[in-house]
Amino acid sequence: MTKRQTRAFFLGSTGLFSLIFLALTIDSHRQFGALTHADQITPEVVAGKHVWHRKNCVNCHTLLGEGAYYAPDLTKIADQRGAPYLRSFLADPARFYNEERDRRLMPNLKLSPQEIDEVIAFLTWVGKIDNHGWPPRPILVSGAAIPGSNVGGAAPQAASDDPVAVGQALFGQSSPGCFACHSTSPGVNLVGPSLAGIAATAEARVKAPDYKGKATDAAGYIHESVMDPNAYLVPGATFSSNGQSLMPPGFGQSLQPAQVDALVAYLMTLK
Amino acid sequence: MRYRTQAVAYAYFAVALLLYGLQMVFGILSITKYLGPDPIKAFLPFDVSKEIHTNVLIVWVLTGFMGAAYWLVPEESRTELHSPRLAYWQLGLWTVAGVTAVVGYLFGWTEGNKLLEQPMPVKFAIVVVMLMFLYNLGMTIWKAKKLTTTEGVLVAGLALTAILYLPALLTFDNYTVSIYYRWWTVHLWVEGVWEMVQGGLLAYLLIRLSGADREVMEKWLYVIVGLTFIAGILGTAHHYFWIGVPGYWQAIGGFFSALEPLAFLGMAIYAYMAMRRSGLAHPNRLALHWTIGSAVFSALGAGILGLAHTWPSVNRWTHGTMITAMHGHMAFFGAYVMIVLAMITYAAPGLFGHDQEGSESPTGLWAFWLQMAGMFGMTMAFAAAGISQTYLERILGLGYLETQHKIQVHFLMVLGTGLLFSLGVGLFLYDFFFLAPGRRTAPATWPATADAKG
Repeated sequence: MTKRQTRAFFLGSTGLFSLIFLALTIDSHRQFGALTHADQITPEVVAGKHVWHRKNCVNCHTLLGEGAYYAPDLTKIADQRGAPYLRSFLADPARFYNEERDRRLMPNLKLSPQEIDEVIAFLTWVGKIDNHGWPPRPILVSGAAIPGSNVGGAAPQAASDDPVAVGQALFGQSSPGCFACHSTSPGVNLVGPSLAGIAATAEARVKAPDYKGKATDAAGYIHESVMDPNAYLVPGATFSSNGQSLMPPGFGQSLQPAQVDALVAYLMTLK
Repeated sequence: MRYRTQAVAYAYFAVALLLYGLQMVFGILSITKYLGPDPIKAFLPFDVSKEIHTNVLIVWVLTGFMGAAYWLVPEESRTELHSPRLAYWQLGLWTVAGVTAVVGYLFGWTEGNKLLEQPMPVKFAIVVVMLMFLYNLGMTIWKAKKLTTTEGVLVAGLALTAILYLPALLTFDNYTVSIYYRWWTVHLWVEGVWEMVQGGLLAYLLIRLSGADREVMEKWLYVIVGLTFIAGILGTAHHYFWIGVPGYWQAIGGFFSALEPLAFLGMAIYAYMAMRRSGLAHPNRLALHWTIGSAVFSALGAGILGLAHTWPSVNRWTHGTMITAMHGHMAFFGAYVMIVLAMITYAAPGLFGHDQEGSESPTGLWAFWLQMAGMFGMTMAFAAAGISQTYLERILGLGYLETQHKIQVHFLMVLGTGLLFSLGVGLFLYDFFFLAPGRRTAPATWPATADAKG
């Protein structure tokens, strides 16, 4: 091989692969709109993206797995936590995490309520991007998937048609992702209260004088809590804010009635 | 030093090394914050210390590249530099832009876009600096009417570096599209055109240090940069797997990323063959250490450790974990830091007026081996952290915070080996700034040349 030939190899291959790259870029642009639901990029989402950049979020967190590794990935955070929780968290992160216990604490970014709504809108939009199913399992901020979910394997599948088994499997699946906020171990409060002994707790609660909901028995209480988290606010700093539960409010729509019944059946076994 | 104006390289190397020291400070601060709690987060939170750590790295490596080019181009084109004065002005503007960016970060003035955080006015200053630089090099070569392959590859790599910075000036409302073009700058720099720069500098050093035949070396240099671009251009796709692009990027990214180690392995073989053929007889043993070290370490860090997590079915689990930090640290060090330090140690005797033999000081060798050991240890510690994190957080499903707590011992190891590394950096700086000037054996005068300019 002569130097002239190796130069031709360099120039030819570089030119060829640059052209392929440009052609694929053009094709990607044809598909970006559909893959990213570009029609849902509202002015609020764009404003949220500016907040994301202005506050340098990416130098602690990852989003779509890109960024720094000092804080959790936020790709699916809007879906996992819901807007009421995120609103409350962003206003004062120290309410939810303790630097002595967790070793890290997000600084209070002093965001205005409008900026908070904008960045939540941005994160909600990011969560819907079709990115080939990444992450393959939910990346939790805190708490363990153990107990209450099937550790180490694929998302749990019900062993039978028994409502309790179906409900238990559903509890550990990433949507609705109950386990991400509720442990089933006594005294282990993640973001939401521990559900250990919930059947007994519910039994007592519907009879308590401060209960103003419509349920009359334990199963009814659990059902109501899933469908309408605001019906009764469990006391606790991270459970509610300004008279509103921080549990995502949409399970009444996203779950089938039979699924809610299965969850209730499972939770009623936690005595 | 054959040409008087090569002396501008000294100023560039001095600035580069000072920033290298600064980078260590912010690196140590950042890893300490991983151990937590962080008592200074109110005025220096992690995002700022990490941003300064990475930005200073980019600035100082580029400063080193510029100094290396100002050293190399006059020698290759056999002429004085077109305008040393312009080169000093360029360095001044560059330093002001860099310092402004760092101070700005401390006060929250940032674009918050990973590795391209520079605020827009700073970005424009960077473009102006690159234009001054390329003009000065271009005029030097044009007036000399002499362009060797080695310097051609180097200058083309630097010119493409400037061109590929332009996508960084664009903004998009669609976050996926922003990320898509961000990688045109970041990936195509470090896994594309900077490898051209590294290849050009490596060829120059090997020719000078081993006396290898220029025709042969330059012939293979083309093969190496050809391989770099065959793999590197479409290898950009390994950053696209999970950001919302069409599915074909996964197959393309997996395949071409697997080819990326070839160019780095090529460089290691290139260095080995040069040494085998022509011996290791050059008196500047320290420059030999850094040169061969760069060829070997980049094959390991950039080549093999990159491949360790670019296959899509692996990356699906490791994406966004400490595995990336493992690869990133050793890759940057091996490919770019070491080649710049090789150029500095090679040029040092000329810049300081030493005999070539005078350049292998015990301090210099300690600086080399401490950095090697420190970086090797840091890479292993990041690897252990990354593997544990992937398993606990991504596979078992433990929360992020609990996982980080369980892998603290690895962060402690990063801190320990990082301190060892920083000690090596400190010794390198001490040698360059304090010991080397005192070892002068030759008079500080250089043969006047006819075409020298102010």
